[in-house]
Amino acid sequence: MTRQSSVPALSCSAVTVRYGPVTAIAGLSIEFAPDLIHAVVGQNGAGKTTFARVAAGLVRPEHGQITVNGRPLPTGSVPKARAAGVELVHQSFALPPSFTIAEAMEFGSTRPGGIFSARSLARRWKSHLRDLDISADPNSRIRDLPIEIQQGVEIARALVTESKLLILDEPTAVLSPSGIELLFDRIRRLKSMGVTVVLILHKIREVLAVADTVTVLRGGKHVAGPLPCTELESASLARLIIGDGTTVREGGDIKALTGAGAPESFERTAVPVTETPARTTAPLLEIRTVSTAPDSEGPPLSQIDVSLQPGEILGVAGVEGNGQRTLVRAIAGHADLISGTILFSGADVTRENLTERRRQGLRIIPFERNTEGLSLTSSLWENWSSGALLQGSLLRYVRPAQMRASCDTTLSRWDVLYHDCRQSAGSLSGGNAQKLILAREIDDEARLIVAAQPGRGLDVGATAFVWDALRSARDRGCGVLLISSDLDELFDISDRVLVMLSGRSVGEYSAPYDLQAIGAAMTGANQ
Amino acid sequence: MDEMIIAILRSSTPLIYVTLAGVLAQRTGIWNLGLEGLMIIGACATVLGIAITGSFLQGFLLAVGLCVAASVLLWFVIERLKANQIIAGLGLTGLGLGGTAFAVEAYMGSQVAVTVSSGAPKAGPVLGAFGVLSIFVLLMPVVVLGLWVLLKCTRFGLQLAACGEHAFAARSVGADPSRIRLIALAAGGVLCAAGGAELATGSLQLFAQNMTAGRGFMAFAAVIFGAGHPVWATFAALFFAVAGVLGIRVQLTFGDNIPHGLLQTLPYLATILGVWISGKLRGGAKAATLTEEQSHV
Repeated sequence: MTRQSSVPALSCSAVTVRYGPVTAIAGLSIEFAPDLIHAVVGQNGAGKTTFARVAAGLVRPEHGQITVNGRPLPTGSVPKARAAGVELVHQSFALPPSFTIAEAMEFGSTRPGGIFSARSLARRWKSHLRDLDISADPNSRIRDLPIEIQQGVEIARALVTESKLLILDEPTAVLSPSGIELLFDRIRRLKSMGVTVVLILHKIREVLAVADTVTVLRGGKHVAGPLPCTELESASLARLIIGDGTTVREGGDIKALTGAGAPESFERTAVPVTETPARTTAPLLEIRTVSTAPDSEGPPLSQIDVSLQPGEILGVAGVEGNGQRTLVRAIAGHADLISGTILFSGADVTRENLTERRRQGLRIIPFERNTEGLSLTSSLWENWSSGALLQGSLLRYVRPAQMRASCDTTLSRWDVLYHDCRQSAGSLSGGNAQKLILAREIDDEARLIVAAQPGRGLDVGATAFVWDALRSARDRGCGVLLISSDLDELFDISDRVLVMLSGRSVGEYSAPYDLQAIGAAMTGANQ
Repeated sequence: MDEMIIAILRSSTPLIYVTLAGVLAQRTGIWNLGLEGLMIIGACATVLGIAITGSFLQGFLLAVGLCVAASVLLWFVIERLKANQIIAGLGLTGLGLGGTAFAVEAYMGSQVAVTVSSGAPKAGPVLGAFGVLSIFVLLMPVVVLGLWVLLKCTRFGLQLAACGEHAFAARSVGADPSRIRLIALAAGGVLCAAGGAELATGSLQLFAQNMTAGRGFMAFAAVIFGAGHPVWATFAALFFAVAGVLGIRVQLTFGDNIPHGLLQTLPYLATILGVWISGKLRGGAKAATLTEEQSHV
């Protein structure tokens, strides 16, 4: 197929999307030339995902127009967008976990299907999967596949219609460094097959590694681009992404926040820590050969050892779904332990419940801010005071007015933007909601802070705030266990990094970190 | 032995039709607790329809129309008005139980059982002793098989399953989960009408108040026990029906030596056992919500 290069593969003009009172994108106009790899970057909340969903027909914009190869595309219709050749690969994959690979291909196909059997279905999609280099058995189920292959399957699903324009929404967020390499190879191959690729990314390093052009969004608006990547340097791109309005306190954080650190800077000699120097104090948290019973939420822990000293940030790296959630539940006393012991400052708490553990200074910033961290329908002061209230006896007399007053004092100390502490927690932005959780969890009695993906979904300013909060907690002697799938975040603020794979700890590293070695540990390639 | 098989087929067929309606809803992500109401509407409408028109076919068509309308109402309340599906389903059951009692009262002038002179067409003497079975019983295996093919071997079936499991995934490939749920519920309405018609006119020719006696809930339990799979759920329904028939057998054999009430509870005990076993096998059933879609957006 030949196309005139003057006609953009995808163009959107003056697109505006509002979700209730929030304007996700405002008057966005971009044009993408065909047959190239385009990157779209921006902070969380910049409107990247909304833009992708508008192009794919999943979100109907209030105003604006989309054209594909010069032809206007009716907005808000997935079938029409797909018929025009636009396909979207979602950040958290959109494949039913119980489907087999072949079923996942078939359910999105648009060619005649008829009645099939499992075998005929596998045969039907065999060559398609082989063309895209997916070697897994077509009859294996999505939920049993490693995350890299799941993503490959999702891309193959998007290409069942021989799409000419593929949009990938933050495809690297869930991948290990080697998985990212594999993905980029795949994308370069798609480009050579004549597919125009739009990649939504938020790390400058990745943009420069794979993309031909880059477009920057900020606050739902178009800031720059598409700029050719060859003429670009990471510092100026970082400035475009962050903007002038945001103050990030430490200079070193900017590189980590925008993923601008060059791979070479990690490639210093770092050896796995083999023995920890003798310490005088007992570790704040010691997990000794803990194994848990299998459950539906990912792999169980298997003989894991973790030791955290006071005044230390221990990063836990790993591809998502390798037991990190179970680790947090084990520390909270919510996992089904079959062996091992958990000690806080030398005292065995294996049999203690969460209330007792919290009394001893355990605080948790949970994975799911909106479901585990807060009750969105409850007020700010109720959310804030729950931390202390749950410690007291059930029939204790409480004074709401007093709680509201001290809630107000604390929240303003934590820079939470709000009108009234009686407003519901659901009315806060992501960054302010996370600050509310920090205000509750990092109190004076906190000693051991488990922070699970604390920067996820936050913009640069809010993420930097969270990092500073964790650092200052460390500096006054707390131990922080930071679980993250973002290696830039871990490398920037952790004193040590432990790598988890399939519920086990497979390596421990200290600064300066070796991206290659840690990446290899994350996928088990070093064994 | 023939007699026993006939009894089992007769008592299981209404349950199986309604179970299949539940399977369809379940796979699209709707926990249909309105099955009891739909079933009794089907039974009542068939009998009253026969009483008014004198024709079984017209009675059955009335039942289909009303059950589909009630199912569409349920869809509207859940999908458009965003009501909690459990509450909406229970509301539909209440509407069915109360509405049928009201309809009988309005038609007969009192709350008596309505009897009619003709019932569902029978297989006839070709099948010998089994000739007394109604066409619903004969069609039942065909419907089960047909539904299995539809759900497991067609793209529509995959999209239907995707709706329930990952509605956002269904939306991403251009399927409309809301529309698919409407189709599934409406088709379920037809199946519930068949179940109700078989219950009231398959071997009997009457409608009595509350004659479904919890069979709709039992069908729902069969859906859970059968993990939403059309064939497994059918076997689960069959298992509950067998327990009921055995109870009657035991009663006939031992007379009053075993408390009558205890034997009547057998199918219900089997239901509890079934749900307990499925909980043991697959872990507790996840709470039903349609908000999954929002959490992905």
